[in-house]
Amino acid sequence: MTSQTKGFRKINWSKVGSYAILILLAVLYVGPLFMLVNTSLKTMPSFMKDATSLTTSLNFENFSEAWTKANFPKYLLNSVLYTVAATTIYIITAVFVAFPIARKYIKFSGAVLTLFVIALFLPPALIPQFQLILNLGLYNNPIGYIMLFIVNPIGIVILVNYIKTVPKELDEAAALDGCGYFRFVWSIVLPLIRPAIATVVVMHSIGIWNEIIAPTIYLTNKDYYPITRGLIVFQGVYGSNWPTLAAAVLLLTLPMLVLFLVLQRYIVSGLTAGAVKG
Amino acid sequence: MSYHFGRGKSKWIPYLMLLPGLLFYFLIALGPSMATAVYSFTDATGIKGAPIRWIGLDNYREFLFMGRASVDNLAALQRTLIFCAAVTLIQFTMGLIVALLVNQKLRGTNIFRTLYFMPVILGVVIQGLMWSLFLYPLGGPAAKLLSLLGMRSEFLGGQPAEAFAWVIFIQIWANMGTTMMIFIAGLQTIPSEMYEAARIDGANSWQVFRNVTWPLLTPSVNTNLLLNIIGSLQAWQLFLVLVGYRNGTQVLGYLIYATGFGQTSGSVSSSFRQGYAAAASIILFLLVLVIGMSVQYILQRREARILG
Repeated sequence: MTSQTKGFRKINWSKVGSYAILILLAVLYVGPLFMLVNTSLKTMPSFMKDATSLTTSLNFENFSEAWTKANFPKYLLNSVLYTVAATTIYIITAVFVAFPIARKYIKFSGAVLTLFVIALFLPPALIPQFQLILNLGLYNNPIGYIMLFIVNPIGIVILVNYIKTVPKELDEAAALDGCGYFRFVWSIVLPLIRPAIATVVVMHSIGIWNEIIAPTIYLTNKDYYPITRGLIVFQGVYGSNWPTLAAAVLLLTLPMLVLFLVLQRYIVSGLTAGAVKG
Repeated sequence: MSYHFGRGKSKWIPYLMLLPGLLFYFLIALGPSMATAVYSFTDATGIKGAPIRWIGLDNYREFLFMGRASVDNLAALQRTLIFCAAVTLIQFTMGLIVALLVNQKLRGTNIFRTLYFMPVILGVVIQGLMWSLFLYPLGGPAAKLLSLLGMRSEFLGGQPAEAFAWVIFIQIWANMGTTMMIFIAGLQTIPSEMYEAARIDGANSWQVFRNVTWPLLTPSVNTNLLLNIIGSLQAWQLFLVLVGYRNGTQVLGYLIYATGFGQTSGSVSSSFRQGYAAAASIILFLLVLVIGMSVQYILQRREARILG
């Protein structure tokens, strides 16, 4: 009402101010991305001459060069393998941990849940974890590397909270119909908690996919590198050749951006799960 | 609650199926985490089969009091606190302001929201390489901007203090979106009647914020403050990607990694001092614990006062 009665020609300064701040900030977020695209399409001489000028050529050779020289196919495959394998093992074991806790089907279920929450407040496991993997003979071994990522306590908490919203009468009815425990969890609970599973899977996979410390510590053989480690090594070799390096970075950024737009909902719900309740 | 799926032996099925997850958790997370304290009293190295001796508090003594290295360690500790204070203060404030801005009924707020949140998914490697290019000292965008003002800089390769400041900036750039999203989720739980009531009472925008939004936002204020403080005390990955292990820029997290696994990333060096690194881990952990618990205590008292 008020804005209309005040006359439609009056400039809404709070709106203008809001947009001004939002757009200014947006430049900081688009800028580096734009610079990356622009550089990836340049030739090395034109980059040396003027790094920021708009590209006049569409030099796609940078991409093919990055693709082959950075060993992209191999590293991408490794990343996919690690992410899929670890996430699959994790989510299957996690559901069977979360369900009986949420339903109190095991003794001391509250204490077991606390055990998982406690990890968030304990010292980092970095050093003993390394000793463990080393002494198991799994250093510089994909299996040892995957093992590091089959645990995620926050995911358990999210699953427990979500399973609590599934009506308990369902358990009773299914049991009366002769449905066993495993089949009940697997084919009835699992589909019902799909939103929570999606959130946890997305959160967990992104963590593995973007990991840089663990591959630096645990994997020395080039054949085992995930794409993040591959990029850093590529930077070490091609550090001054920014057009090719930018193309390599972009090759990894673009699919991530697409994935991000598709999965944003799940990432956000993972981040804010429980956060607002306090 | 009573268990419906069979009696007798089959009552143990839930336990049996829970076991793998629980075992993995003990083996890979909980066990190693607690063992950090044990390792901190030993001279463990990263070499397989090398003997490990119990050396009591020697690692702690060396870390805190012995020679040149301890001066560097304490400087890293101080830097960690500065990093934490700067990141928390700016990221929290910006996240709140931006959340308030994009939570208005304005066109296009979804686009801004998505944009600010984007770096979260890209991960530190892409974040780092993107900014390395943007801060390219020989005529990159940031250098151009400075030269317009008649200045020049080496950015990440220049003075340690400056490189350190840039990492703070990029850390905030990368994670502000998370803080914003948590604030937005909090803002959306505030019923619109509260705002209308305040408006009817003649409150101006500041008064509405001060008396309605801010107190009702308490849960997300607490979450964000704690997440920002704990997160920034432990963060160091961007240092690895942006500047490497350079004197005058190290924070505790990086120091732990460097002493435990050799200073240069990737190369296997013989200076794996893992017992010492474990002691440094415990010192960082105690820092996080003390700061985190004090803040939590203050926040809870505040919450009790506000929300009753």
